[in-house]
Amino acid sequence: DGQRLFSIAVSRVQHLHLLAQRLFSDFESSLQTEEQRQLNKIFLQDFCNSDYIISPIDKHETQRSSVLKLLSISYRLVESWEFPSRSLSGGSAPRNQISPKLSELKTGILLLIKASEDGAELFPDSSALQLPPYGNYYQSLSADESLRRTYELLACFKKDMHKVETYLTVAKCR
Amino acid sequence: MMKKAVELVLLLLLLFFTPHIMGKRYSPPGKPTLTRCRSPEKETFTCWWEPGSDGGLPTTHALYYRKESSERVYECPDYHTAGENSCFFNKNDTSIWVNYNITVVATNTLGSAFSDPVDVDVVYIVKPNPPEKQTVTIMEDKGWPFLRVSWEPPQKADTRSGWITLIYELRVKLEEENEWEMHLAGHQKTFNIFSLRSGGKYLVEVRCKPDHGFWSEWSSTSYIKVPDYFHREKSVWILLTIFSAFIFLILTWLLHMNSRSLKNCILPPVPGPKIKGFDNQLLKNGKSDEIFSALMVSNFPPTTSSNYEDLLVEYLEVYVPVEQELMQEESKDLHGGCLKCERSTSDSDSGRGSCDSHTLLMDKCGETKEEGRHTDRASSRMLTEAQRHQKGWEKDTLTYAHGDMVSPDMSNGRVKTWPSVFSPLPQYSSNPLDKQSSLEMAKQHCLSTSSCLTQPGHSTKEALGPSNWDFCLGNKQPHLLHPQTQVGRQLQAHSEVNISNIGRKQAPAGLQSPALRSTEYVEVQRVNEEDLVLLQPVVSGCGRIEGYPQMPKGKDYSKVKGVDSDNMLLLQREVMEEDWCPGVDQEINGGTGNCYTSSTVNTTQKPTACIHTAMPVQGDMALAMNGYVDTATMCTLPTC
Repeated sequence: DGQRLFSIAVSRVQHLHLLAQRLFSDFESSLQTEEQRQLNKIFLQDFCNSDYIISPIDKHETQRSSVLKLLSISYRLVESWEFPSRSLSGGSAPRNQISPKLSELKTGILLLIKASEDGAELFPDSSALQLPPYGNYYQSLSADESLRRTYELLACFKKDMHKVETYLTVAKCR
Repeated sequence: MMKKAVELVLLLLLLFFTPHIMGKRYSPPGKPTLTRCRSPEKETFTCWWEPGSDGGLPTTHALYYRKESSERVYECPDYHTAGENSCFFNKNDTSIWVNYNITVVATNTLGSAFSDPVDVDVVYIVKPNPPEKQTVTIMEDKGWPFLRVSWEPPQKADTRSGWITLIYELRVKLEEENEWEMHLAGHQKTFNIFSLRSGGKYLVEVRCKPDHGFWSEWSSTSYIKVPDYFHREKSVWILLTIFSAFIFLILTWLLHMNSRSLKNCILPPVPGPKIKGFDNQLLKNGKSDEIFSALMVSNFPPTTSSNYEDLLVEYLEVYVPVEQELMQEESKDLHGGCLKCERSTSDSDSGRGSCDSHTLLMDKCGETKEEGRHTDRASSRMLTEAQRHQKGWEKDTLTYAHGDMVSPDMSNGRVKTWPSVFSPLPQYSSNPLDKQSSLEMAKQHCLSTSSCLTQPGHSTKEALGPSNWDFCLGNKQPHLLHPQTQVGRQLQAHSEVNISNIGRKQAPAGLQSPALRSTEYVEVQRVNEEDLVLLQPVVSGCGRIEGYPQMPKGKDYSKVKGVDSDNMLLLQREVMEEDWCPGVDQEINGGTGNCYTSSTVNTTQKPTACIHTAMPVQGDMALAMNGYVDTATMCTLPTC
């Protein structure tokens, strides 16, 4: 049963990741070459909103982490994007709406956490702290840098989705 | 950092001055470019660059990178592992989901060149190694072989922990082909290939790709040869072909056997010309003469001109029944006839004779009496005598004629009954001895009548109507007339029978005798033993009665015109053989030939005929001179 939930969660996050990838590539193709270079430079200096979330960044660390940790990190990541994803549009089709999918994914991960052994303990601690900074972070930025903002948004979203996918996959195979 | 910058400046100065001092043309190195960076398993990665021109001086390259979250510049830890112009980042130096900003610098004594920085995220530069341990085996599925290909993921890729997920793809082709057949295998590590060619040699290759990454290179080719197996399809086709060929042969044979009948059925032969006597061979030979000669019928068309008269019936045998014989006998015996004629001559009505054939004879009889002066008297008398004969005869066919004779009207002596003339000779109750005589008398009578008729100067033909004078009023009249005239004479003892007048004024109403072409007359020659009336032609156009008519010895028969309603034999003489004139004169002159007894019928035709004219001859002589027969004289019939 756990495997089934994992499989479902993994497939959903894979889909989200594909959406994010498509959004980013579309945006990047619409940009001018010059802008692209500048954006690349700019991007190196900026950070994603999810950088404060400590997550394993290599395989070793990932394999060293427990399933629960992976699940909780995944949960936090998904949750962090729940609000900012509303400005993102995956497409006209309702299937491609990102925000509801994130919500669904979050629910699934929660189920997985509860299904694990130590789920109940970590859950109340992590969720309450992270919500406010998300909302403030993106609103504080100036409006004229919309192009840069979109680029960042899409890039960070794509990366985070891939993270969740990886974590879930590793947790599933564990 | 400062140290490096100072070193860099010194190096640049050195590079700048060195070529200047040396006198050579040196330049700083060209700009290197990073070609690619790849990670095989998402744990390590390698970057390769392309160096620019070296400027003639030994050039060194360095790769510097910077991670996204810090400003710290790192230099490539490993330049050698990955080969020339490469930088290998090991696991410790590799961070996932972190952008690397990598720059390569080429440096020589004159200067250095920086490459463009490249942002690298390891996740997206994964290109795994090709699958390993690839195996291809042949397996059978219900007699049909297929290939089973299996492989292993590349060794470095950690798919087991789920760190990396790979999808696979394989391709197959026959050895002699150029096109590969691609198959996507997904996450599975085995694959089946069907529809193999028997005895073919196949090549199989596999490659893999991570979910977000690049395709790996194709694995090493696996060769496999499919064994020869017998196609069930082929066997079926072979059997079918043999069977159809067999059937085809049979059909051909049947067709050949029945070719003729089929030919006739489908293409019926065109009927050729079938002419009797026509020889196709002759036609082919081309001799038209022979061909047409064969067709010729010798007798057709008749080339010789034939006498049309020959075609006509020249003679015919008339079967005269016994009644006729009797009549003939009676005709010879003019006695009764004369008597009757006398009686009939009492009728003085002369106006009825023209239309009414019934009373024609009677009128004639009457006229003879009244118009004694007329030359026609004799003829009318003859007619009346004929009537008399008729009456006397037992012939029933002489209906009205008889009646007329018997009736007092007959006494007029007018010959009214023309048809009676045509009637066959009434039977006569005379003895057979008188046969001859009566016949002769009849003849004479006929002659006389004809002469009478011809008196007016008209030919008998003219005087006589076309149809009315067919009877032998004259010499040529059939024998029938003879007795009739004789009878008529007898009837009209003293009356004059203006036969000619009657003939003229008489309308051919009642007498619808068949139209006669000519006014030729036939006289009864005799009656032979076989009861055949032998007729002899009487020459027409003989207007004069002179001398005794010579009895034609030839036996000529008149043509039977027909039999009228009263069973009267209508005769017509066709051929004129002799032209002899009735010997009216003899009669008139008081020939004492065979005459009817007590009748005024004179048969002037024969020498043997004697004509006794009991009646006064009035003007008869003149008539006789002109060829008319004095009926008065004729009426008197001597008993011979």
